[in-house]
Amino acid sequence: MASTGLSSSNSSSSSYDLSFKILLIGDSGVGKSSLLVTFISNSVEDLSPTIGVDFKIKLLTVGGKKLKLTIWDTAGQERFRTLTSSYYRGAQGIVLVYDVTRRETFTDLSDIWAKEVELYSTNQDCVKMLVGNKVDKESERVVSKEEGMTLAEELGSLFLECSARTRENVEQCFEELALKIMEVPSLLEEGSAVGKRNILKQKQVHHTSGGGCCS
Amino acid sequence: MEKKRVADDHEVEPAVPVRVDRFGFVKQEQNSAEGLCRSRSASEYEREERRIRKWRKMIGVGGSDWKHYIRRKPHVVKRRIRKGIPDCLRGLVWQLISGSRDLLLMNPGVYEQLVIYETSASELDIIRDISRTFPSHVFFRQRHGPGQRSLYNVLKAYSVFDRDVGYVQGMGFIAGLLLLYMSEEDAFWLLVALLKGAVHAPMEGLYLAGLPLVQQYLYQFDHLVKEHLPKLGEHFSQEMINPSMYASQWFITVFSYSFPFHLAIRIWDVFLYEGVRIVFKVGLALLKYCHDDLVLFHCQTEVVSVSYNFVVLSLEPAHGSLMHWI
Repeated sequence: MASTGLSSSNSSSSSYDLSFKILLIGDSGVGKSSLLVTFISNSVEDLSPTIGVDFKIKLLTVGGKKLKLTIWDTAGQERFRTLTSSYYRGAQGIVLVYDVTRRETFTDLSDIWAKEVELYSTNQDCVKMLVGNKVDKESERVVSKEEGMTLAEELGSLFLECSARTRENVEQCFEELALKIMEVPSLLEEGSAVGKRNILKQKQVHHTSGGGCCS
Repeated sequence: MEKKRVADDHEVEPAVPVRVDRFGFVKQEQNSAEGLCRSRSASEYEREERRIRKWRKMIGVGGSDWKHYIRRKPHVVKRRIRKGIPDCLRGLVWQLISGSRDLLLMNPGVYEQLVIYETSASELDIIRDISRTFPSHVFFRQRHGPGQRSLYNVLKAYSVFDRDVGYVQGMGFIAGLLLLYMSEEDAFWLLVALLKGAVHAPMEGLYLAGLPLVQQYLYQFDHLVKEHLPKLGEHFSQEMINPSMYASQWFITVFSYSFPFHLAIRIWDVFLYEGVRIVFKVGLALLKYCHDDLVLFHCQTEVVSVSYNFVVLSLEPAHGSLMHWI
């Protein structure tokens, strides 16, 4: 039936050097879940819309380090933003996804999603990655690569075009993001500080900013 | 009747034959629920026949005796529903217990009006999700086929009927589930009965802007976990896990989204008769079932993954006992 995060359930015994939280955002139907599923497994299938949030875990080696990426996949429909906003907290990386064949999904990134990041992200140094998905549908493309690059510059984010269907650039997307995160000292420190300390820190953030984001 | 039509459509298709389970979902090789699809023994078959006779007597022709019976013996009805409504009567009984049959009779022609003459601001959003709703079911998998058309009509009609709610992802799974057991118009009125609260508390707050009822239910569920499963509640607090991470889809779709179908319909039997408290009870039962595994994990994401994925899988062989816990 709908997507589940099965791949995550047996990863508990594996060891890793660093652990990062990544968030996928963007309009409904741009392919956030598909990117994630393609990255995690080899299957390319039509997925159900995400209701609320879902997540998957991927262990991979980047730059000689064993990484554990916890990737939170959020519902794109506007009505769900009230539920998804709390997942920005503590994310070291945010992937902003649009569909190169639907212009409104591109303009919504600067009009809506970038503002959501500013509002809810607790990490000042958080690394952003702009992703134009569905490049396999080249004949239906309406957003050019140059436009994507320009927006990425404005947002101060990384940029890639990819296709969840053909797997083109999917792994690169998450790997480049992880590499960039590892270049930021504050994020690197957070990633290695797993366990109790991290939890306490998050709790403090929770207390101090409790009413802030909702008021 | 609907089921029959589904089967016919499928046979007409010249495409490669697909194997489906008894509910019409395309079988995947790794599907662990194989045991559920085995043919029934003679004694099971007889028992099922007896049950159907009992149910037919209880509801009368076309549901004519239902109201009388339910007034006289509500406890018998409750007990029988908990044992599961016979699949061939499910569609009719769902309409009777939800109050949707009355709405349908009181509003002749309204559905047709909504489908044919009105336009909805949500049309594009709905279209985009149609092929993503139960894509592995034979009724819905054919592009622009009767299943997808019915689903679109019901959702569009509702988005016009209640423009404040409009269309919210998740409603498609509820409508899809209903369409497997009844006609478009019946499914529409059942959706209305649920969201507007014909018998139980209205569900529309699950879908209105801000999702106020989802927030309320998650808050209440959090407290229920702490009260009924204190050890797990404490563990969840330590690991910073809250129900929005695993339970929002339980409430928004009443387990019709990512739950094994044979369990979902049993939950719906009871949910339609007893109301939303059943969603809480099933949710708590799931956590209780996996309690010992859940408290072992010491990482936020691992605990969450257990609580909403592993739970479902581990339940597969034990579906019979689920109803005992709620």
